[in-house]
Amino acid sequence: MTNNTQFDAPQFDAPQFDAIVVGSGITGGWAAKELTEAGLTVLMVERGRNIEHQTGYDTELKAPWEMPFRGQGDAELYAREYPVQMLNRHFNEFTEGHFVNDADQPYQKAPGKDFDWFRSYQLGGRSLTWGRQCYRWSDYDFGANKRDGFGTDWPIRYADLAPWYDKVEDFVGVSGAAEGLPQLPDGRFLPPMELNCVESAMRERIRAKYPDRVMTIGRTANLTEARPEQGRGHCQYRSICARGCSYGAYFSTQSATLPAAQKTGRLKVVTDAQVHKVDYDPKTGRVTGVRWIDTRTGEHKVAYARVVFLNAGAFNSVHLMLNSASEAMPQGLANSSGVLGTHIMDHANTMAAMAVVPGFEGRTSFGNRPTGIVIPRFRNLDKLDGEGFTRGYSFQGGALQGTWTRGKRMGGIGKDYKEELHQIGAWTMVLVVFADSMPRASNRLTLSRRTDPRGVRQLEIAFAHGKEEMAALADAHREATAMLTDAGGHVVMGFDKPGHGGTSIHEMGGARMGWDPKTSVLNRHSQAHDIPNLFVTDGAQMSSSACQNPSLTYMALTARACATAVSMLKEGVI
Amino acid sequence: MSGAKNGWNRREFTAGAALLALALGIPAAGVKLTDLDAADLPSDRQRRLIADVSDLVIPRTDTPGARDVGVGDFVVLALAHGLSGTGAPMASETITAAVAPFRRRNGSLRHLPWLEHRLDRAAGGDFLRHDLAERTRLLAALDAEAFAQGAPPSPWTALKGLILTGYYTSEAGGSQELRYELVPGKWEWDIPLQPGMRAFSSDWTAVDFG
Repeated sequence: MTNNTQFDAPQFDAPQFDAIVVGSGITGGWAAKELTEAGLTVLMVERGRNIEHQTGYDTELKAPWEMPFRGQGDAELYAREYPVQMLNRHFNEFTEGHFVNDADQPYQKAPGKDFDWFRSYQLGGRSLTWGRQCYRWSDYDFGANKRDGFGTDWPIRYADLAPWYDKVEDFVGVSGAAEGLPQLPDGRFLPPMELNCVESAMRERIRAKYPDRVMTIGRTANLTEARPEQGRGHCQYRSICARGCSYGAYFSTQSATLPAAQKTGRLKVVTDAQVHKVDYDPKTGRVTGVRWIDTRTGEHKVAYARVVFLNAGAFNSVHLMLNSASEAMPQGLANSSGVLGTHIMDHANTMAAMAVVPGFEGRTSFGNRPTGIVIPRFRNLDKLDGEGFTRGYSFQGGALQGTWTRGKRMGGIGKDYKEELHQIGAWTMVLVVFADSMPRASNRLTLSRRTDPRGVRQLEIAFAHGKEEMAALADAHREATAMLTDAGGHVVMGFDKPGHGGTSIHEMGGARMGWDPKTSVLNRHSQAHDIPNLFVTDGAQMSSSACQNPSLTYMALTARACATAVSMLKEGVI
Repeated sequence: MSGAKNGWNRREFTAGAALLALALGIPAAGVKLTDLDAADLPSDRQRRLIADVSDLVIPRTDTPGARDVGVGDFVVLALAHGLSGTGAPMASETITAAVAPFRRRNGSLRHLPWLEHRLDRAAGGDFLRHDLAERTRLLAALDAEAFAQGAPPSPWTALKGLILTGYYTSEAGGSQELRYELVPGKWEWDIPLQPGMRAFSSDWTAVDFG
């Protein structure tokens, strides 16, 4: 269907815009905001349904007893239609509408390979369901490929991005504590959420024994101070963010970037529109517009623009470029290098250790803090001290007290048992590790011969963690166990092997940035080497993965690329 | 609802489920019984048994018990839809001679017939005919065996888990027995834990990881 020339013919009555943004998630929202605020008319194309801020969060206020399956969801339905999405920790009966139906949105895994691809196709994309952790990358990260020879050198360094980090943090609203760590640069933070009593104690005990390791509060895109100018209230400490937050307390497209873009009067949004092709004109060497399928009617539509931003999510942007192959670009759009689709990454991740922490029995907390703690990277900084790995890992987690679900692991019945579960449970501390994923050519995306229900060829994912990630997780398991034990905890469990690729939900790469057009897809401005009016500013552009959550860096790169595109348009370069 | 010897037929069960849905205040649309074999439909006796067993686990105290909030019927619904992995084929190492006769064709376990058989055998006859003290003793013995250190996996753990879910996600279990705060509005990171302070059913991280 997508090769049918009937749909490739120019349509002279099709709408014209200055810019088209494909995707409405974290980076699509930023692109729409920046480009419209710079005076451009923008069409934002979203493949999923519309969700209105506030009124569209259907389950936000529901109690478990108001849900057909008490918040657990219909396991039979999930096994049939959500077999991948149901593995996401944030997927449940309240949030299921914010995730794709796997049966309707199939993808292929290369033989013998696993990849759990978590997706949210809707206005706002994964900005509605994200983990909200916001960390700057440092030159340990931007310099990583050059230092150990994996992947290709990043054509940017921290200094290039620092002002853009400032800009996006100021708008997003990131709460966090400044720690002065070179490997995790401080940002422009709102007041931090406090550590609880166990975390505070563990921070001091760990620092006493390991001076280079700092446990700090997670830096999170939840407002600790209201932003009335954006119509956003402060966090209510519910920690049910993925249902949607009508207070607008966490950063999402709906709560922040979309209203800003709409305020300009220059944004048009179309939903239920699955873009399957970007048009390329070999005579001008420019992209001219995008084609989509209206997923409700099956109609094929097209719109034109002077510049196109791909923000469909890392793998979907690559998918779209592969699917946009043409006579002039037979390997895929902007793929003269042949590296499009290669060097995909996702942090290797596991629960490194969990410990019961005695000594805090008389203390508790009130409220549900929507972030945990982080212990930034301490391996392979100025000294190469990792055994079998050259990069880093960091821990996230936190201390919590049990509630009724602990009864599932306890013997006992009757009044005494009920009375026991009536009480607030013991303190436990969890450390989850995220390790650098090495950029490898063998981890790649290709087009499958199979098609989806709309007739578009599916994406095939070939991904496996390598020995470097295994070595990092083995080290992380040892270190997490040692730290928690040294800090007075009794470690009860922990793992040293990663889950399937995709489980960090930090999938990235595939259209990497680089200096050389022969070995990379994008230049230092997130602009295609081959096509000057094509920008890819989501996770696809990443040349390495670092071990921090990547969204803040995507946002900063997007804002930076928008400024580049706008000035090039003004100068008539594109 | 009729208690035919062979258990309910599908039509009766569906009608019963719709009534049950009404009684529990949930949309009947949520109560689908697709792919449920007639042989899996609980008998009237099994339905009474799980209601009774649920109440033995969580009895009425100064707050309602499991029977008061219909936990037995939640467990029936949950099993029909395979919640908590109960619809999945059993792992080979968990298949013993004691459970093998209760497996479905797809390898999953019919939990209620297993429980009925297991308790009747322990009771030397009809479990439900015994008095409260004896039923409590028999169930406590089953529970102790399942949760003993190094014990082989028992289907009871999944059933007990569903009983807890049914109770603590009910309005009384979640908001009277425990505390439910949808909008805490603030973060108090270090406060004294007073004796008798109730746990939160709305501490979602604790529900997931605790």
